[in-house]
Amino acid sequence: MQVMTKPDSDATRFHPTFVLVFASALSSVCVVALIGCSTHASRLVGPRQAFYANDLSQAHAQLDKLAENPKGDETVVQLDLAMVELLRGDAARAERRLLEVRDQWEHLEQKSLAEAAASLVTDDRRRAYSGEDYEKVLVRVFLTLASLMQDGVDAESYTLQTLDKHQQIVARAQEKWGDSVTEGYCSPAIAPYLRGIVREATLHDYDDALAAYRMADTLQPGSAVITADIERVTTGTHSSPGHGVVYVIGLVGRGPYKTETEALATQEALLIADQILSAVGEYSVPPTLAPVKVPQVSSPPMPFEQLGVEVDGRAIATTMPITDLHELALRSYEANMTEVIARSVARRIVKKGAVYTAKDKLQADSSIASLAFDAAGVLWEASESADTRCWGVLPREIQCVRLEIPAGTHQIRLEPIASGSPLASGVLVDVDVVDGRNTYMLSYWPGIESIGDVLISH
Amino acid sequence: MTRTQSSGSQSHKLLLNVLGLGCLVASMAGCRGYQYGHLVGGDKPDMVGSHSAGGEVYKPLVEEAVARLLGTCAVTPAAAEFGPDGLPFSRRVCFVGVENKSSEELGDFKDQIYQLIDTQINRSQAFEAISRRLVDAALLETRLRPDSLLIPDNMQLFTSVLQRDGQPVDYLLYATLTSGTTERNSSSQRDYLLTLEIVDTRTGHYTKEQAELSKGYHRSPLGKLANYSIFPSAGR
Repeated sequence: MQVMTKPDSDATRFHPTFVLVFASALSSVCVVALIGCSTHASRLVGPRQAFYANDLSQAHAQLDKLAENPKGDETVVQLDLAMVELLRGDAARAERRLLEVRDQWEHLEQKSLAEAAASLVTDDRRRAYSGEDYEKVLVRVFLTLASLMQDGVDAESYTLQTLDKHQQIVARAQEKWGDSVTEGYCSPAIAPYLRGIVREATLHDYDDALAAYRMADTLQPGSAVITADIERVTTGTHSSPGHGVVYVIGLVGRGPYKTETEALATQEALLIADQILSAVGEYSVPPTLAPVKVPQVSSPPMPFEQLGVEVDGRAIATTMPITDLHELALRSYEANMTEVIARSVARRIVKKGAVYTAKDKLQADSSIASLAFDAAGVLWEASESADTRCWGVLPREIQCVRLEIPAGTHQIRLEPIASGSPLASGVLVDVDVVDGRNTYMLSYWPGIESIGDVLISH
Repeated sequence: MTRTQSSGSQSHKLLLNVLGLGCLVASMAGCRGYQYGHLVGGDKPDMVGSHSAGGEVYKPLVEEAVARLLGTCAVTPAAAEFGPDGLPFSRRVCFVGVENKSSEELGDFKDQIYQLIDTQINRSQAFEAISRRLVDAALLETRLRPDSLLIPDNMQLFTSVLQRDGQPVDYLLYATLTSGTTERNSSSQRDYLLTLEIVDTRTGHYTKEQAELSKGYHRSPLGKLANYSIFPSAGR
């Protein structure tokens, strides 16, 4: 790979010692940068371990500490804090944090040339994190849930905002990637489903509820829960007189997170990289390139299939998956991958170009000076990491079941079920069911034990 | 990577470009804008939605439909029933709700349309609207669907609950929004129709009034000119 071939004969010749010192200093800076840059994933290991170990106080304390010294991941830390607070039963505080992130991401969606330029000489972590497309939708979904766990006064607005945001994301994606982007892009079925739930609860907006459930059915085809909902709102009513409805919402399994991997530059990515570079200098992109560092999405396997629900000692239902967050993250990741690779390619070319130019300019003819420059270049490239920032404490699946039961206080047990058998004793809670009204139960099951409180709406 | 020209001036130029990036970083910091808002005065026209209907469609539709309904149902002195104070009795209307059968989702406009109609009805001297909270309470108690209230037994049950709560009902009012779309190449015209249907709970007799508004949607800024001025009747 040839970059610079012939030094400028007219250029001023620098003293070899100066060149050597310059190259060594450059190397040192890169080494310091390499050592000093902890990845997002490594920063969050501690609090996330505490979170999954059900030590929410410890997780909160550690996240609080990280929030005081954010390294480009402030919104992600805030989201983790919001989740911890929600599961500690402080839905109001969680809602406030989620609102802050929602507003900040809205602001960060505007392009910043400064960040784009900075990321071209460092890496993608220099870009302010404005959330993956699926995360933008899920912030609003969790806002809805946080509101429902309180008085629900803003829940309707959040459901509308979720659908509105999704439309914006699809429109923008279609603008970028063409009509291959379908309406289902980054659309979790839970979003219209929650809209349907709150509209049905008005007892007079069955038409809205039907439209929302139909949309959820398109996104999660064949779900027995949604089919029953559609049937009910088409001809039936919310509940029989003297009965209320309990929605059991289970956050099951550990959700998607990003790790670093390497990817080959595709022709499509090289084309985009060429467009990026056209703004920087007269360079052409090579036909092939060594693999570049990129993030990849992973999720641990599901710990169990469903949550079993017992009411007053009688097993009556199991939750059904409404949204698979791993799939959602994967689709979002795949759609954006070409651009991520393109930016990495452009960055590599800029870095190599800068090193060759410096060597050229400073007349680094001696083998030691040349070696020092090459070492600096290698370290500069090595200091680059994939952007692994993400909302890492999301569940793998959101599951739901609707129970219509007589008004009054009931004992409801939730237990993890695999192959039709319970895996643990689960949790037992008292739930007040109100005539003609919805009550919401929210619990998080990253493993066979739930973490935090089982939240019950007021 | 291949170099397009291997001259010293090229490398110099590249160095400047790369260094320029640094300057760009410094100079462009904070180039993300803020969001601003302003009040739209009552005399200013509403913003016209580019993809769907908004205030510019729904507000005039409501105004026109309600005005027509009130005009149709105006009480003539000969037909009016008068109270002991010599004033004509206002007729009590239970506004059941807005039904959306158009191709667009109403989103947050649905409740606004309800409130606009409810308020205008209530402002008229001929009618007195029953509070929505009482209507909701009756629906909750009876568990009847709004679209099933016209079944005689259901209507009887529903009005008796309201009557028991001191809210006798003379009329049930339904609002229905429908739409019809005409496509022409990359342009389309959507006709929005708001229908108000008022049903006499004693006789079952109903009166209907409508307001219609059409809106064009175009992919090109010249779409309006092409479809409505230059080639108004041209086919595909």
